[in-house]
Amino acid sequence: MKSVFDIEDLGFTYRKGVRAVDGVSFTVQKGEIFGLLGPSGAGKSTTQKILTRLLHRFEGTVRFEGRDLRSYGNEFYERIGVGFELPVHFSKLTGKENMEFFARLYSKTADIDSLLQRVGLFEDRDRLVGEYSKGMKMRLNFVRAMLNDPEVLFLDEATNGLDPKNARIIKDLIREFQSSGGTVLLSTHLMGDVEELCDRVGFITDGRIREIASPRDLKLRHGRRELVVEYREGKTQHTERFNLDTIGEDERFFELVRNKDIETMHSGETTLEEIFIKVTGETVDA
Amino acid sequence: MRNLGLLLKGEVQRLLKYNIVQVGFGVTMLWVLVMFLLGREEAGFFVPLFVFMDAALMSVLLMGAGLIYEKQENTVKSMLVAPVGLPHVIASKLISAVYVALQSALFIGLVAFFFFDVTVRFHILLPVVALVALVHAAIGFALTLVTDDFTSFIALLAVYMIVFTFPSIFYALDLTGEILEMLLIISPAHASMLWIETAFDEAARTVLLVLGSVYLLILSAALIWFVGRKYPESAIRE
Repeated sequence: MKSVFDIEDLGFTYRKGVRAVDGVSFTVQKGEIFGLLGPSGAGKSTTQKILTRLLHRFEGTVRFEGRDLRSYGNEFYERIGVGFELPVHFSKLTGKENMEFFARLYSKTADIDSLLQRVGLFEDRDRLVGEYSKGMKMRLNFVRAMLNDPEVLFLDEATNGLDPKNARIIKDLIREFQSSGGTVLLSTHLMGDVEELCDRVGFITDGRIREIASPRDLKLRHGRRELVVEYREGKTQHTERFNLDTIGEDERFFELVRNKDIETMHSGETTLEEIFIKVTGETVDA
Repeated sequence: MRNLGLLLKGEVQRLLKYNIVQVGFGVTMLWVLVMFLLGREEAGFFVPLFVFMDAALMSVLLMGAGLIYEKQENTVKSMLVAPVGLPHVIASKLISAVYVALQSALFIGLVAFFFFDVTVRFHILLPVVALVALVHAAIGFALTLVTDDFTSFIALLAVYMIVFTFPSIFYALDLTGEILEMLLIISPAHASMLWIETAFDEAARTVLLVLGSVYLLILSAALIWFVGRKYPESAIRE
């Protein structure tokens, strides 16, 4: 598969001496959703700012489609879309005026009305953004990122602060973007987004990548392989766990299935959060 | 150039939506009202001062107000990931500030000329106001980059005015001795004042004028360099 970004030994230190990114290396393949998962201050936003050319004094190598990122001019921004963590709109302009303001700056643009419709803001397009709720502003952020019909989408905490219904809309749009050939780099602390959306995820803490794999591979590699059975005996509920590798020869399991009133039976997968803690020794907080 | 044109259009739209142009125009109307209250004799004496206040102080203040809004709303970030160069973004802001100042100066100049018989050399007034507004808009720009909010911006502006602007105004009103003038030349406000006076007074002092204009040009260049360096840093700071 063709790579979009090749990042080697990336490092960045802020002027006040804070080492935000330290020796980070990874590749983002064309058409994949790559997640950077880590707590606040882990270095994921800084990494994203370097890849979007907002920060320049970095160490290491970043190649975009095989070419040094530093060699690109403003044409780079015709090809990418950036969704920021916080709202980035003029509060005294309407939602549509905001989008038209930025759309003018690109040589090609997506259909603004259609995007506003998709995120459920079409009816409110003529209201001032200052009157929008945080969720509405975040949805408008997504429209802003998609304005130029980009090839690569950078999203920073794209669903943070959204209610489940609106988070679902954004996640569906991200999937749709990927289906049409787009590449996504998603920075988040939300495990659910990573599990649901990402083809691969990089665990990042203290400016370093600790592990890169698909969520499924991580679970297979670090997870417990067990089956949890809940059954009822009289008025008492019981839970028993069985090793998936030996369940075929486990007489106790078959006895339960034959003789007990089974209420639930499910694989006791380790969550991504538990794996994150196991790998990094840290928790993913907001 | 296409980008600069688009950015200028957007910037003017933004200044109108945020009522910044309207506030500027309101202040201009205030000066005109004061001129009528002062009467024909006195107004002529004060016109250069009003033009100076409008081109200099209002440029600092209006640029600052616009940028503080922009800072609070994080819109610069969005601009930095668009295919437009940073020099164009900065230029669009400075040019629109100059445009607002020119409109005001032209209006005051026309009122002074037609209603108060004041000699106005418009061919000098307009370029002078453009230069004065440019340097002061750049000062306003720079002040917003070293302050966090509108309150600290106003506090720093007050310090700037006490140090640089008030002595110049006192001088213009003959409230200070001439000995102070050589020292005042380091003040952007005073250099601006000298220039503006030339548009109304044929007996201009050439040496000070040349010094003042060179100083304003160098100061503008230095401030724009500073803004170009600090603006993106300030925008992406979390």
